[in-house]
Order: sequence, then C-alpha cells, then structure tokens
Amino acid sequence: MNNVSMLASIGVAAGEEMAKDEKVILVGEDLATQGSCWGYFTGFADKFGKDRVLNMPLCEQGYSLFSCGAAMMGYKPVVEFMFADFAALGFEAVADVSAKFRYNSGGKNSLPIVWLCPEGAGARSGCQHSQCVESWFANVPGLKIAAPTTPGDVRAFLRAAIEDPDPVLFCFHKAIFGIKEDIPDTLDEVPSLKNAAKIVKPGSDLTVVAYHRALLKCLEAAEQVEKETGKTIEIIDPRVLIPFDKEALYKSVKKTGRLLVSHEAPERGGFGAQIIAYAMEECAGDMKSNPVSVCGKNIPIPWGTLEDYALPSAADIKAGMLKALE
Amino acid sequence: MSFSNEELLDMYSDMVNARVMGEQIIEYIKSGRIAGAIHPSIGQEAISAGVIQAFKKSPVKKNYGTCTHRSQRISIWRMGWKPFVGELLGRSTGVNSGVSGEYHTTDIDGCTIPATGALGGTWGILAGVAWALKQQGRKDEICFAPYGDGAVQEGATYEAMNIATLYKLPILFFVENNQIAMSTPTTQETVLENISDRAAAFNMRGVTVDGNDPIAVCEAIIEGMDLAAKCEPNIVEAKTFRWEGHFIGDPQTYRDLSFRDHLDDIDPIIKYENVLKEQGVIDDRMIVQVHDDERKKVQDIFEGTFNDAPATEEMVMDYNRLYSNDCGGEL
Repeated sequence: MNNVSMLASIGVAAGEEMAKDEKVILVGEDLATQGSCWGYFTGFADKFGKDRVLNMPLCEQGYSLFSCGAAMMGYKPVVEFMFADFAALGFEAVADVSAKFRYNSGGKNSLPIVWLCPEGAGARSGCQHSQCVESWFANVPGLKIAAPTTPGDVRAFLRAAIEDPDPVLFCFHKAIFGIKEDIPDTLDEVPSLKNAAKIVKPGSDLTVVAYHRALLKCLEAAEQVEKETGKTIEIIDPRVLIPFDKEALYKSVKKTGRLLVSHEAPERGGFGAQIIAYAMEECAGDMKSNPVSVCGKNIPIPWGTLEDYALPSAADIKAGMLKALE
Repeated sequence: MSFSNEELLDMYSDMVNARVMGEQIIEYIKSGRIAGAIHPSIGQEAISAGVIQAFKKSPVKKNYGTCTHRSQRISIWRMGWKPFVGELLGRSTGVNSGVSGEYHTTDIDGCTIPATGALGGTWGILAGVAWALKQQGRKDEICFAPYGDGAVQEGATYEAMNIATLYKLPILFFVENNQIAMSTPTTQETVLENISDRAAAFNMRGVTVDGNDPIAVCEAIIEGMDLAAKCEPNIVEAKTFRWEGHFIGDPQTYRDLSFRDHLDDIDPIIKYENVLKEQGVIDDRMIVQVHDDERKKVQDIFEGTFNDAPATEEMVMDYNRLYSNDCGGEL
C-alpha cells in the first residue's frame, strides 16, 4: 500500500483484524455515523454491520464499562476515546476493571480490550483536547501500553494490540495523523509487544529515546547537532512502553554513555522519568553526563497557538542534546 | 403467584442463614479473626431470600450478576459455600484464592461478574455482558444488576440504563434500598420517593416493593426477569432497612438508634415467621430447629475455612496470573 497516512493505518489494522476475527468489535462515539470523529473507520458499519460497530451515546464511562462486560463474554472490543483526554471518564473501566480482571480471576480469564487514545497537541484545542495520557495509566499493573509513531508501526502494533489477550492502551499522536509512508500490502507477521524498540537512526555519542511527535522533532534536532558538533546520535523509538524494551536501552546507553528522553506529556511523573530510572539502575557506571529530559512543561496546555510554549520544540531538544553531549 | 410449602420454608432458611451468618461475621470481626471491611446484611435478609428463590423459580434459567456489599447469601448461592467463604476470609480455597475479596470476586463460569470498588460502574459492565448474551442468541439468560440506594446515585448507572434501553438488553436493574448510604439517608441522596421512578426517564418499567417481605421480593424479581428475557430492561426496587453500621464498629453517630430498642417490630424474619405460622407451614419447634441448623452450617464452614491456608507469596506474585503472555510489564 503506497503513501498510507498514519490516520489511515489505524483503519487498515482494525479492518484486517475485524475481517480475521468476528469477535473484534468497535465501540465509541460517531463510529457508525462517520467512522469516528477522525474518520479512520469510515465504511466499517456498512462492511461489518452495526452489531460490530457500536455507535454509542456520549458516555465514556458507560461504554468503556460496557466494553469490559462484552470482553468478559468473549468479545474483543476496540474502544475509542474520541480524545485521549476523555479517557479520564473511562479511567475506572481501564484501570480498575480491565487491568485487574485477569489477576482477580486467578489467571483464568483475560480481557482483550484495546483502548484507543488519540492524544497530543497540535490541533490548538486547549487544555482538555491535547493531553498525552500514557503516564496516567503507566502506574497501573495489568495494562500494556503501546505508543507507535509511523503509519507502518501503528498498523503493525495495533494489530498486535488487538491480538493480545490482555488490555492494551494504544496511544497515537493526532498532530502527525498526516505523515505518510508505504506499508506492506499484507503483514506477514504480527509483531510481539515485547522487545519492540527500534533504532530509528544509529549513532555512538548520545542515546535519544523518544516517541510520537517528539521523535520527529528529535530527528530534526539531531541532524543539526550532528552537523555542528561532528558527533553522532542514536535515536530509539520504543514503540511499546509496557513492556519496555530495556535491553535495547541498556545496549545503546552502555555504548554512548549519554541519554536524552523526550515526549510531549509533562515531564513530572512522565514515562521519560521511568526510562531514565531504568538506564540509571543498569548503566550508571557507564554514564559520561547526567541524563537529560526534554518533555512537555508541567502546566496545562493553553488554547490556540499559545500551546507551543508548553511543548518541547526542536530547539529545546537541540539545547538538551548539546547539554547531554557536554 | 403460588408457593409450595417447600419453597416458603426454603426462603425462611435462607433468611435465617443470612441472619446467623451476619451475627457470626460480627463476632469474628470483634474477636479479631476476620480482617477487612465486611458489611453484613442484618435486617435485610428478606432480599437475599426472595432473590434466590426467584432465581430458582424463574423460567429464566441462568443469570449473570455481581456481589454487592451486603449480598453474602446470594454470592454463596452463585458460587457455593467454600469458594465464597474462602474468598471472604482471604484463603487459598476461595474462588479467586482469596486475592479478590468479597465484592471483586471474578468467576465467569459461575456467572459472577466483579463489582467495581466505587460500585455504580458495575451496572455498565453488566450492560456489556447483557449485550453479549443477546448478541450470542442466549435467549434464556439475563443479567441481574443489583445495587443499593447509595451506588445508584452514581452517573454510571444512568449511562448503563441508557445503553440498556437503546440496545434493548436483557437486564434487570435491582435496587436494594436500605434507606441509608454509609451515613447519608436516602432523603439526602435523592428527592424521589421511589428510586424506581427513574425508570420512566428511560421508558422502562419500574416497580417498588416491600423489601422486608421475601414473597413480594421474589414475585417482583420473577416478573422483572421475565421482562428482561424479552429484552425489556426494567427496575425493581425493594425497600428495606439497615440495622447495623456501615461497617462493624461504626459508632453510627449520624443517626438516631432508638429503633434498636424495638427491633422485633421491624424484624423481617419475625414478620415472615408469623405469616408462615398463620398458614400452618411452621411452628415454634421448627423455628428453633432451623436456627440451630443454619447456625451450625455457618459455624462449620467458617471454622473449617479458617483452617485453610492463605494464598502464598508465590501465588500473589505470579506473573502468569497478571498477564497472559510474556508481553507484560514486570511485577
């Protein structure tokens, strides 16, 4: 498939899984009427029927709990929060019901639910339509969290998330819906959520771990820093946060001795802090400088273009890289 | 609706069983043998007796439901004595090896859906279960969604009723109204005289019955289950009265406790005994016998289960229990 956008890749993956397994259902708002607010499920209601594309009223708590019930009875719901921010209303279903069900059942029954979280700023929509939510949930044992960036990875890992028997929070970034690439017509092998990190760009002087829009900004900043300093930067896209590919992180940090993490979610309590903790627990003796994090600021995201003040820019990341390279 | 003598006595035994179990649990808590917040159903025994009889008597042969904070007797009916009491006491013989505890018990094979900690969300889960039953064409199975007057103030219950009626789901919403939510009386929770009036907002049938009369409860539940099986969601509310505190040891400074001086006047068991005596179904000797039998039954199972081993650290920290494959986070 040529020139597939990241937005379209969501529909590709969901469509493939729905064709493969009739237990896969879609649950959310405006799904049957307009293929979701974002349109990636356009035509699904006609193709798979309204029994499998459940158009819900505005009731995130109600339909996320409903989805847990359906999953208990053998269905595989792919549940969309129109904006990841709205997962706040589904928090109980995600964190208290889906994440704990298998454990409480003594390992007998898993809840195979995918919680779709279109997240991040860029649409200039203010403080409650722009947040990145992965860290809200990272503290809940029982959940897996995927956060792929590119169309090919979103397609592959969404399929992996749907096929996984456990609940997976699937975060993708709205501001980069439009990035495009060629992806395989068929996916020969659905990847594992384990050991999922990918070295996007090899290097030897600094390890950068970033995902979503921050990853693209890191690539941009690295190009400039490499030109100016002559150093080379290794950039890792973890693609999946839980389980985190620690081996890939250790291998790179032991080689470079320097680490920068970047994501758009606020820095405090963010997943980047966990990545730094992983690295320092294993590689402290290899470090040549202190780890640096360049993440969202610890403030609400303001309305309109003012949001740029709250987010890590390529310039911020460049400054962070220079600091880490000192 | 007619009841055989056997059915009437069955309900009586269930009521007595719930009472003595509540008394026994209080004793165990006071003597330090039970840890954890357990909420006995003392004063509300007609509910569990009527509900269980309805489950037995209804042509709807299977129902999925949850435990509530005060439904120990119903849970035992669903899961069996040992699996439930083991879970209540945190023993490895519990249905979830004592890890889930009383109201998060998770046993799909036993039709037991875990309740949420904040409570109201449970109705949403059961709406999803009901959708699956309908989707799978399981016409003689429904969901029985119980909750108290406290939990049904949560918005999640409204969303669940809305979804249930939109999708015409086989579900019966049951409100056990004991007129107090922890410390807050129902009059401070809602302006409605009957919580079942909320059914009108969703074009559902709603009825309120005397929750201290097991026959009335049983009849209302059977009717509600019939409707649910026809994919007509509906509400049955049963009004009862909580005798004890919210938890054992609750000083209850929030309410006038003078009713406790006249408990015989409001006791649903005594009231039912009188009905059965008038019908010649029971006499004083049988009453003593039932109490002795049920107390022995409860003591035997609790004493036996106290001796069961609790879950080991290995069981609690079992990675395979949390994730179904090695693609999970570490413990």
